Amino acid sequence: MKGTYIGEFEELVLLTVGILFEDAYGLAIVDELEKKTGRSIMISSVHKALVRLEDKGYLKSQMGGATQLRGGRDKRLYTLTQSGKKVLSQSRELRNSMWNEVPKIVWGTGKI
Amino acid sequence: MKPKSQNTSPPKWAVRFFRWYCNDHLSEAVLGDMEELYERRQLKMGKRKADFLFLWNVLLFLQPFAIRKESKSTTYNTIAMLENYFKITWRTMSRQKMYAAIKIGGFAIGLAACMIIFLFIRNEVSYDKRFAGSSIFRMYNDFGGTTPAKWTSLPPSVAQIVKNDFPEIEKTARLIPQKWFNAGSNLFRRDDRTENAYEEGFAYADNDLLEILEIPMVYGSKQTALAKQNSIVISKRIADKYFPNEDPTGKIIILNENKTRPFVIGGVMEDFPENSHIHFDFFITLSGKEFWPGEQTDWCCWNYDTYIQLRPDASPEALQKKLISVRDNYLIPYLKKNGDQSVSDIKQYHAFGLQPVQDIYLNTGGVQDELRHGDSRYVWLFGGIAVFILILAGINFINLTTAKSANRSKEVGLRKVVGSGRGYLIRQFLSESIVYSFISFAIGIMIVVLALPFFNTLSGKQLFIPWATWWWVPMLAGAVIIIGVLAGIYPAFYLSSFKPADVLKGSTSLGSKSSKLRSAMVVFQFTTSIILIIGTFVVYRQMNYILTTKIGFDKEQVIMIEGANTLDKQQLTFKNELLQLSSVKSVTISDYLPVNGTTRDQNGFWREGKTKEEKGVYGQKWIVDEDYIPTLGMKLTEGRNFDIKLASDSQAIIINQAMVKEFGFKNPIGERITNNNGNYTVIGVLENFNYESMKGQIRSLCFVMERGGSIVSVKVKSASIAEDIQSLNKMWNKFMPNQPFRYSFLDERYARMYEDVDRMGNIFAGFALLAIMVACLGLFALSAFMVEQRSKEISIRLVMGASVKSIFRLLTQNFVTLVLISFAIATPVSWYMMQRWLEDYTYKITITWDVFILAGLISVVIALLTVSYQSITAALANPADKLRSE
Repeated sequence: MKGTYIGEFEELVLLTVGILFEDAYGLAIVDELEKKTGRSIMISSVHKALVRLEDKGYLKSQMGGATQLRGGRDKRLYTLTQSGKKVLSQSRELRNSMWNEVPKIVWGTGKI
Repeated sequence: MKPKSQNTSPPKWAVRFFRWYCNDHLSEAVLGDMEELYERRQLKMGKRKADFLFLWNVLLFLQPFAIRKESKSTTYNTIAMLENYFKITWRTMSRQKMYAAIKIGGFAIGLAACMIIFLFIRNEVSYDKRFAGSSIFRMYNDFGGTTPAKWTSLPPSVAQIVKNDFPEIEKTARLIPQKWFNAGSNLFRRDDRTENAYEEGFAYADNDLLEILEIPMVYGSKQTALAKQNSIVISKRIADKYFPNEDPTGKIIILNENKTRPFVIGGVMEDFPENSHIHFDFFITLSGKEFWPGEQTDWCCWNYDTYIQLRPDASPEALQKKLISVRDNYLIPYLKKNGDQSVSDIKQYHAFGLQPVQDIYLNTGGVQDELRHGDSRYVWLFGGIAVFILILAGINFINLTTAKSANRSKEVGLRKVVGSGRGYLIRQFLSESIVYSFISFAIGIMIVVLALPFFNTLSGKQLFIPWATWWWVPMLAGAVIIIGVLAGIYPAFYLSSFKPADVLKGSTSLGSKSSKLRSAMVVFQFTTSIILIIGTFVVYRQMNYILTTKIGFDKEQVIMIEGANTLDKQQLTFKNELLQLSSVKSVTISDYLPVNGTTRDQNGFWREGKTKEEKGVYGQKWIVDEDYIPTLGMKLTEGRNFDIKLASDSQAIIINQAMVKEFGFKNPIGERITNNNGNYTVIGVLENFNYESMKGQIRSLCFVMERGGSIVSVKVKSASIAEDIQSLNKMWNKFMPNQPFRYSFLDERYARMYEDVDRMGNIFAGFALLAIMVACLGLFALSAFMVEQRSKEISIRLVMGASVKSIFRLLTQNFVTLVLISFAIATPVSWYMMQRWLEDYTYKITITWDVFILAGLISVVIALLTVSYQSITAALANPADKLRSE
């Protein structure tokens, strides 16, 4: 199972790449994550995660989409690969099945 | 909130830094992200904060995932390339042994010269450096006037006066370094021994001198060692010699058999370091010392050097200005009281100065004293020459490397074809020249080790290689690289500039391209060498002139027996017995001789009865006996010698021509002159003779007849000096069994006065030889290269019937022309330089044309000899051998 394990932050990044679809590059991912989570995110940690996810084969990237704002530099645009999508759905299924195994009574007594 | 178009970019250096460490996969994209963020932040919170956050981000990226990975293969590659460079260097060297040997040999010689000179200069400038920054000074007199002079001796009371008058002076101390009473040399013994020994290095000093000069003590204390009357401080060297393994403090010693005044040892001081301006072994105290009644308060006689220690916050410049009051409050009243006519001169021109102790040895600033000095001009001169020799060696390297570039061109071409950039080639050739430089340094150091003892005797120094210091080895390493790079940089650029297509096609004839530059360099080498040759000639001629020219007395076959003052009343008997010896021609007893290290005595003279009306004539008054003039072969131009039988001759005086001139006497015989102590009648005029270094004019001097003295000068007849010495020694032992027989030769003592010129000549000659050697090595290699290049041409010429002579001429005339050009450049330059050097001497040679002709001939002959070996071999070779292999 070694190859398919991803951490929480990595999973969030993968999902964000999915959300942003055509325009998923470093800073945009940071913005989106910050918006969604309300946490302050370091740009370096996002890039670090991106590099690892690419190494694991869940993401692929290409250069493109330079704008005036970034000193005319290209962006590295990330897209989900098949195995990326697979690992996301696997992790979702895992969660769902585990959710289902929790007895209903648990949800009833505790405050959420 | 409008964006400033100029200032919107983050700091450049931070971007560059990021680019440097970040790998290519990320750098562009991440930089873009960061700049976008930066832009956003800049609008929000201003440039400074944005800059800071940008930098912070750059630093945050400094993580393994982002950092450029030196791929392992590149590291291996660099090492492999270096290995390859060294291998190729080694192969080139061993393929062209002669050229490599010449490059390295020349370099090694040049480097050795540089290292030795470096050590020499370091030693020269290190004198008394421990006093740098401390406020210790020596006072000197600064006389402006028509004959300006700066000298150090002062009246005895000045030290106390300035200490009382100026609160910024913390301590003062006096020193008598010159030969005076017991200062100088003495017979020395412990009071419990009878055997006397001769010792030098005595001086009189105040106790405070030990503290001011921070002389470390082995026994006794700095504060009290010289405090008591008749105390003496000896050096550790002397203590070890006469009082081995004991503390000599309190022991009694006898000087010159004078048992009425024994000295008590007050302490033992460490030996002076070699790089100190004074090197005394004995300090006799000045406490309570009065050389004659009233001497200590009198302003007549100036014999004391005065050292001053200022308070740390005091300004020496301000004090120097204030010192003028010493003149106005003490000296001038004294002169006025005596009716001295020089008051107005003194008032106008005389001042006092302060000389920092660390400047005494080298940067004398014209202050004269009795100590041994360095000469800062020589320091610069030698430094310059050493650098020149190194440049000559560097030129050899450059010339040979570029000349032999044809051999390397294919290599360069091939390297370029398989993808080597110019940078790599430059790196290759630079590392090659660093290898050469390293080997040269290794050999150079070996040369230094071998040559240093020789140089030490030549220069009178004790230099050594400072292996023990922390900076020597790193400095050498640095020098290896710097010199390697400097010598290699031009060849590296030259060689790496070859176009592969050209060299591989073989269309360019390489090496001949830069021949103009090479010629210029050869000219430079030979110009330098010829200048040095001419310089050596002139120095030697001047030296010879001084030693052999008419000096006014006959210094040959005169033996000086020293220490004769201990003969006491037996002096005359001794003299008479000596005269009985068959080999002895004549004998004279006097302390005053026309060589350094004998007594001098400055006196003022006036015409009798005119002491208050006229300015005095200042000159030497020498005490001699009636045999002095014949023994030393001096000549009287007028009048007669002293006559012992004439009672009136005790009031007679013989003056030299300089004094006659200064007095303005028309008929000097019979004139009456006085020096305030006695009145004299002039009975003779002495032809001028040199009694000081030939650098100056001969100054006024006179003889009076008196008994006594410590040097017996014996003129011998025979040429077998060794036998004479033996018979004199026997005679001496008969009179003085307990005292060493000390003698020296007048001519040797005279030559020693010109030791510095002699040294200069020898060192100059050594350098000239080195320079010529290096230049010739280069020329030899160049001619070999040229012959090699033209070997086919020569062979064809030979086949077509050219004579050996014409081939020889063809090959040599180029080089001879170059040497002649160098000669034309070197002549005026060296003439000017040597003219400047000779300006120091009053008695000097005129530089004649034969010096130049001779130097020119020598250089042409040397160049011809160097080149002809190759040329003749080429001309005699069998042309078939060369042409067969086409």
